[in-house]
Formats: sequence, C-alpha cells, structure tokens
Amino acid sequence: MYFFLQVAVSGIAAGAIYGLVAVGYSLTFSTTRTFNFALGMWVMLGGMLTYCLNVQMGLHSIIVLPAVTALLFALGLLAERISVYPFLRAGNDLWVVSTLAVGFLLIDFAEIIWGRGQNSVPPYFGDEPVLLWSISIRPQQLLTIATVCGIYFGLEYFYRRTLSGKAVRAVSHDREVSSLMGINARRIEALSYATASALAGLAGFLIVPITGAEPHLGTGIGFKAFAVATIAGLTAPRGILLFGLLYGAFEGLVSGYFYPGMRDIIGFTLMIVALYLRPQGLFGQREEERA
Amino acid sequence: MILHSQARFAPLVFLAAVLAVAPLLLEGTYYTHLATSVLIYSIAAIGLNIIAGYAGQLSLAQAAFMAIGAYSAAFASKSLDGVPLWLRGGLQPWLGMGVGIILAALAGGVLAIPVLRVRGPYLAMMTLAFAWIVWKILLEWVSVTGGDLGISSIPKAQFGSIELDERGYYFLALALFVAVLFFQNRLISSQFGLVIRAVKYGELAVASAGIDVRRVKFATFVISSAVAGLAGALFAHQQSYINPDSFQVFDSVFILLAVLLGGAGTMLGPVVGTTVLVVLPEMLHEFAKYRLIVYGGILLFALYFLPRGLVGEMLQRAIGRRERGPGKPYVALKSETTQNVFEVRGGSLYIEHVSRSFGKLLALNDVSLRVERGTIHAVIGPNGAGKTTLINVIAGVYPSDGGRVVLDGAQMMSKSLDGAARLGIIRTFQNVKTLGDLSVIEHVLIGFAGKEGLRLGRSLFGSRRRGNEWLRQWDKSRELLSSLGIPHHLQEAPANDLSQGHRRLIEIARAIAAGPRVLLLDEPAAGLVADEVRNMASLLRKLREGGMTIVLVEHNMEFVRSVADIIAVLDHGEVVACGLPKDIVTDERVIASYLGPSDATS
Repeated sequence: MYFFLQVAVSGIAAGAIYGLVAVGYSLTFSTTRTFNFALGMWVMLGGMLTYCLNVQMGLHSIIVLPAVTALLFALGLLAERISVYPFLRAGNDLWVVSTLAVGFLLIDFAEIIWGRGQNSVPPYFGDEPVLLWSISIRPQQLLTIATVCGIYFGLEYFYRRTLSGKAVRAVSHDREVSSLMGINARRIEALSYATASALAGLAGFLIVPITGAEPHLGTGIGFKAFAVATIAGLTAPRGILLFGLLYGAFEGLVSGYFYPGMRDIIGFTLMIVALYLRPQGLFGQREEERA
Repeated sequence: MILHSQARFAPLVFLAAVLAVAPLLLEGTYYTHLATSVLIYSIAAIGLNIIAGYAGQLSLAQAAFMAIGAYSAAFASKSLDGVPLWLRGGLQPWLGMGVGIILAALAGGVLAIPVLRVRGPYLAMMTLAFAWIVWKILLEWVSVTGGDLGISSIPKAQFGSIELDERGYYFLALALFVAVLFFQNRLISSQFGLVIRAVKYGELAVASAGIDVRRVKFATFVISSAVAGLAGALFAHQQSYINPDSFQVFDSVFILLAVLLGGAGTMLGPVVGTTVLVVLPEMLHEFAKYRLIVYGGILLFALYFLPRGLVGEMLQRAIGRRERGPGKPYVALKSETTQNVFEVRGGSLYIEHVSRSFGKLLALNDVSLRVERGTIHAVIGPNGAGKTTLINVIAGVYPSDGGRVVLDGAQMMSKSLDGAARLGIIRTFQNVKTLGDLSVIEHVLIGFAGKEGLRLGRSLFGSRRRGNEWLRQWDKSRELLSSLGIPHHLQEAPANDLSQGHRRLIEIARAIAAGPRVLLLDEPAAGLVADEVRNMASLLRKLREGGMTIVLVEHNMEFVRSVADIIAVLDHGEVVACGLPKDIVTDERVIASYLGPSDATS
C-alpha cells in the first residue's frame, strides 16, 4: 500500500505536467481547430531558457518564472504568425507539418546553443523531501501539483467570470458570428497560441529540476500530453487537467509494478483506442455534424 | 486534373533508362549504395503519396511500416539459414519481401480501423502514436528484436546461387522501384484512383454518390502500408544490419517531407523529393549537427513557396502555358446506346411519421409525405423549419427518432449516406460540393463509380475489355454533361473554375450518373441568376418526363410553382399544409407563416 501511494503520488506530479501542456492543445484547438503539433519542443525551450537564466546567468527562480513564461508567450505569438496563420487561412491541414518543422528547428538550435548533454538545474525549494502521511514528496513535485491546481481554478475563473473568457468561448463556438458581434477573433486565435506556448514554458520551468535540461526533453512529454488531451477531450480544458493527473498516476503505477518500457506502449495504445471509441473524448461534448 | 494521360509514361521510361545505365558509368560502391537508398526511400514515399498525397490523409507512420517490413524480412531471411543452399538461393530475398509486405499490410489494416474514424490532425496524431509504439516495441522487446542493437548479419539477397553485390542489388531495387511507380500510375488513373483523389476534397460528395468512403480509405491505407513494407524489406537486405534508430518518428516525418517537397499527389513528386533529401546531406559537411535545421527549414520553405511541391509547381506552370488543354487524348467509342440520358425509372417515396430532435429541439415532428413515382414534390418553409433535416433523414445522414421511410414499398434500413445512395436515394447539397481540382467530367465519373460499384482488383488488373468500360463511362459522362448544357470545352476544366450555375448542374449531373430512383435537391436554385433558374426548371421538368421522382427543398417560390406537382409546407418541424401549388399559395395558414400577404396577390 505504501509503495502504491508513493508511486501514484510521483506519477501525479508527472501527470500535472502533462495536464499543463495538454491544456495548451485544448486552448488553441477550441479557438482555431488547430494546435501546435510540436508543443513538446516548447516545453523543452522553456526548460532550456530556465537553465540559461537560472543556472548560467544566476537569476533567482522568482524572476526566472515570469521571464520564461513571458518569453515563451512572445515567441508563441511569433510562431503562430509564421507556422499556423497562413495555413489556417488557406483552410488546409499543413499546419500539422509546419508546426513540426518549427519544433525541429527549436531542437537543433537548443543543441547548438546548449549542447546535447544533460544540464542539471537545482530544485527551486531545496531537495529535502516532505513527509505527508509517511509518503515522501519532493518540494518540486508539490510545487508542480500546486501550480496545476492554481491553473485549474484560474481557468475556471477566466472562462466563467471574465469578459475575455466569454469571448474565447464565443469564438470556440462560432468564429464567424462572434466576429460579427465585434469580438476580435483573430486576436483571440493568436493569444490562444501564445498562452499555449507560455503554459508549455511553465511546464518546462517546473520539470527541469527533476529531469534536467536537454534538447530532447520535451518530445515525449508533448506527445503524451496530446494523448491526455484527446482521451479527455480536446474541448474540455478542465477535464484535461484532471485526467492529466490520473494519467500520470497510471504511468507511475505501470512503471512501478510492471515495467517502465511498457509505459508509452500502453499509453499510446490507450489513446488510439480511446479516439476510436469516443472521438470527442471522455469529457468532451459531441459536435453534431452539419451537412 | 487532366494529367493522367498516356503521355506521362514517356518521362518515366526515360527516367528508368537513365537510372539503368547510370551505375555502369560510376566507379566504386559509394554512389551505387547511395542511389539504392534513394530508390528504397522513393518506394516508401510513393506508398505514402498514395494515402497522403492523393487521398489527403496525412499519415505519420510510414517509417513504422517500413520497420515492420524490414524486421520481418530480416527474420524470414535469417530463418532460411538452416535450409539447403539450392532451395535457399531461390527463396532468399523473395520470401522476406513477401512476408514483409504481408505483415506491413496487415498492420496497416489493423491501424486503419481506428484511424479511418478520425480525420485531419487526429489522424496525424494517431498514426504518430502508432509509429511511436512500433519504435518502442522494437527497443523494448529485446528477446525478439535485439533491442538497441537490432539484428545483424542479415544475408545478402541472392539470385539462385549468385549473391548480389552492391551493383546487382541496385538493379533489383531499380526493377522494384519501376514496378511500384507503374503500379501507382495505374492505380491513380483507374476508376478507383479517381475516387481516391475525390476523397481528399470532399467525403460527403463522394459518399452521396453511393460510394463507401471508409472502404476506399481502408484499401488505400493498406496499399500504402504494403508498399512501405516492401521498402523496408529492401532496406533490410541492403543494410544487412538494422536497428530501431532507422525507424523513429522523425523518419516518418522525413518521408512525408519528401512527398510534400516533391509534390504531394503528383506521380514523380515523391521520387524528386526523396532524391533531394537523401542526396543533400551527402553534399553538406557537418550535416549531422544541423540535420533538423536543414530539414525543418526546407519544409517551411516548401510549404511557403512551393505549396504544390517541386513537381506540382512545374506541372502548374506547364498547364498554365497550355491553358489547361488539350489534356487526355480522347478517343470516342461508338456508343451503342443512344437512349435519352433522362430516361430513368423513378421510385415512390413514402415518409411515414418521421420525427427527429437535436437535444431539446424538435426539428421534425411526425412528418408524413407521399411522393409518387415521376412527380416533383417541393418542400418549402421558413428558415429553421426542418427542411434540410428532412433531407438529411431521408438521405441517411441522420437516423430518425421515430417513423420510417419507405422506398418503392420497402422500408429503408440504411443508416448512412452512401447506403441510402446505393438504394437509389441520391441527394445534392445546399452548398455545392465541388471537389478541389477534379475536372468537371471527373465529377460525373464519381457518380458512375457509385452506380457501377467499385472494384479495386478490376481497376488495377482489369483486362482491356474492362478498360473499355471505363472509357465508355467517359463517353456517357460527356453525353450527360452536354445534354445538361455544359459544353465540351468546359468539361475538362477544374470544376472550381466554373460559375455557381454550372456547378449546380455538375452536382445534378453527378447525382443523375449515380443512378437515382429518387433525387433529393437541396435548394438547387439558390445563387442562380434568372436565366439559370429558368434553365434549372426546364431541366427538372425534363427529368420528370423521363420518369424521375424528385424531392425539392427551395425558397424561390416562382421556381417552385413552375415545377412542383405537390408542395408541402413545413413550419417548426411540422407539415402545416400539403397540396397542389394553386391551393398552397392561397392557403391562409401558409400565407401567415411563410409567404406573407404580398406574395399571395402576385
């Protein structure tokens, strides 16, 4: 039982990261019906920038956090303009490939700037495990879980209580009509991409003290986050965050009890089966197809 | 498009000849090995081109299918070690290739089942997940696949007792490459290939002709994976050592990149793209360091500046110069039948107590209509009255919640658009669904494909007589289009270049070709100018005289009155009136709910 809880809790901490990235897929998907196929590479970029600012330049993590998210936000805007917008307007699926291409560029740039090796980043709040009901949790994991809870309630507040949140929901529902109502749909599209990148950057910031910073850090995370997003339902951001935690726990248990190598195989197979059985996702609403 | 002519074989033959002679002029094995690699990856890219280029399904699993082919071939060939030489020699590369192709095709078929339920980005992600799974299995199932280290000392390919050297293997790869290229050309220029190309631009329009789109995509997916399996088997015998590194997710993206760069949906595009991408790294120093930057950069460049790919852009220029002519050398067959294209045996359609709701909204409430054979039945009503929903229920797009639809006395059991179409209920769409760059006549051929039924085997390996049948369909399509008033010189043009009026006619021509017993027309007069509306009216009358049954949803009252035998008025999902046109226009409830007082006096 003790082992079970221990494994599950560290799994949940990893799952929080998936949830964070997966929400990014959901944000852009609901506003544009597209997403950044290489969002995982943006997690890596966030992690690398964290290493650069925190370790190489010696800045305090309190400053690094806003700096990294702001940088990623700005770069996300730029990347949307370059790799998504042209294809969005042309109405084809080639943004799948163009966002992947940008992701490849990011990996190689990171390799050239920071090298191929592991760069370690010290934990932001020390490495002394906290004991909670005799389960030891690293402060870094607590921070991650706390951040995701914060994002969850933030999203809740944003969508339900703010005017911009309502505008986002309106655009997700019907872009054309919301444009006619005076909502700047184009701005919302661009901002959703920027926010997705910022969230990915935040995930990178949170994960590097655990995994270390290296150029291929985000690839697997990005695809697994997508698995989380689709199984939960791309149009249900809060469901995604919850399911992210669950998925993380599941991964932890598979690795703990079974065999770590099976983790991805089972996870991705689940994604394929889930998409087959329930294309709109566990928490998603089915969209009626109109002829 | 008009690019599927016999003339396209000429550059192919030339290419094959050059490739056959080239290695004889080269010294050493380096270039021969490189050229063999180009051929092998070209085969994989051609396979991907069929599903991604022509059918428009962006698959990111091609390298995974190659892996399946490569590992199966390696196992098969190594398992022959104990077999006596004289027998082994005859089996060596062929057994492995066969097993590789079959297993890759099987894997493709299994993956196709979930994949074909989804579209666009979901499909890309699902195939990517599959590629990841295969790669992981290769890494983790160490006892079978050798894990990281892979499989080594795969025997060289043999012809009889002769072991093929680098040059010999090049010729083997070349022969298979040419075969695959011809296979692609034959497939794409067949009836089945036409449907594959149509699926890329609009599944609804294809399904509305009575074609089971999922079956078409399934077959295409399996073919594409089988070709990748062949490429993988060739790869295994070329390398004599394989490991998971060659079959990562990135390699699948690389093959897609080759297709997009060369020109997706062009015959030689994948070959050109692969050649550039395989040869380029050999020319760059320190390439390994900048691999992703170079490929990512090329990809973005191609997407921006060469959206049709290298070959696609060249073809586009060439067509521009010739002003889209003369296209396929057209040989008219003697038509034995001079029967009127409008002569059909219409059916009767009874709609009995049909209801349909969306959530709490009751879109159709106990609707009953009797449409007799050879009549035109119009359904009018305000926006949101449920007219299009009614069409969708009859055409099998939505199931009804209650009631039934009876065609010629038999209850319609079909639950899909294409199933209903095969029973003879053919619909058109309010928003005209023309298919990308398919020509006008190809739209009509899609209709015929739905009527005659698709046969993949016949399309690929059919005899000459079958070929004539295909030509006869071209004939019939031409005749049909001409009698609908679309002149010959427009029939080869891309349908998207034509006016709204002509595109409406094309849609009706496709519907007629699909062999309807009942024609469902969703606002056929919308967006037409006065002349075209009159033309449409006389066309519908001609169809009725020929025996067709037509159900028509329309807003243009003048048009409706000029063609309809019976008018039903729908409001809030209920039939509020139904009768002869002259009675309907004076019915007070109809005037109140829909026509308004001024219309009645006009």
